Amino acid sequence: MKYVPHALLALSAVLFPYCVQRVFLATPIESQMGTAQKIFYFHVPLAWICMLFAVVCGIAAGVQLRRRSDRAEALALAAGEMTVLAGLGVLITGPIWGDATWGTPWTGDARQTSTALLWLVFVAYLLVRTYGPANAERLAAALAIFGAINVPIIYYAVKIWKTTHPQTGVVGSLPQDMWNTLWVCLLALLSLAIALVWIRAGQARLAIALDRAWIDAEPEPAPA
Amino acid sequence: MLILDQPEAPSPATATSAGEASPPATQKVEGRDRETVRLKREYEAEVENKVASDYSHIVWAYGIIWALFAIYGVLLWRRSSAQQTDLDELGNQLDKRG
Repeated sequence: MKYVPHALLALSAVLFPYCVQRVFLATPIESQMGTAQKIFYFHVPLAWICMLFAVVCGIAAGVQLRRRSDRAEALALAAGEMTVLAGLGVLITGPIWGDATWGTPWTGDARQTSTALLWLVFVAYLLVRTYGPANAERLAAALAIFGAINVPIIYYAVKIWKTTHPQTGVVGSLPQDMWNTLWVCLLALLSLAIALVWIRAGQARLAIALDRAWIDAEPEPAPA
Repeated sequence: MLILDQPEAPSPATATSAGEASPPATQKVEGRDRETVRLKREYEAEVENKVASDYSHIVWAYGIIWALFAIYGVLLWRRSSAQQTDLDELGNQLDKRG
């Protein structure tokens, strides 16, 4: 298990050049959106990764609240950071794509707004978790659970409201070349994201253990 | 898609039967003369060429994504180094106390 993140990093290092080759050279240019559509191959996997780790963070935060588990706390923190990182990627690449195809970077539709809301909630989670007072991790965990509830709203936003985003079935209707490229890019990004979350969770657990060890190492005060 | 057929001119027989005072059987349609068609074709070719060859958006998007992950990787590495220093310091302190 110790070498799992290294193996995942190596896998993503091999896959990323292959992704670039596939995206730029092997996948045809979409007839209506042109080259800007190629942002799709990283934008959509990043959005899925953002939502996946938001759910992981919410579940781990729930376990942390119930059992006071260090492991769950570390996983929640690492997953929360990955949610913010992937969410930032989505919120930057989406408007670049929108500017090229819709003519405006931000239409304020339901999916964009709910994704921005999810990102803000998890930024708040990290801020409370990092800079909050003692016992703030419980408040932060509640925020993470609240954020995770936003994930199905993002997914179903295109079905519930009128939006400029395509419907959820668009991925299933892709031609074979585009479909293959999407899954290769998803595998590359997902392996990278899992590796980074794994490493970060390990660091968070070590930080908790170090804090306790420093407290134990403090010399006891002399009796008055 | 553009319709490239030109509006047909009135046939001589129709023009003769209609007389001089009556309006022509067909009217010229706005935007379908040869010059407009040529300009539209040129414009569409230019747009199509730009859409199919302009990679600036995608380069920006991918550059930003990779930069984000690289920055996060560097932050993890720095944090790991700081923790290792902290761990060594703790070990030294425990050694001093015996």
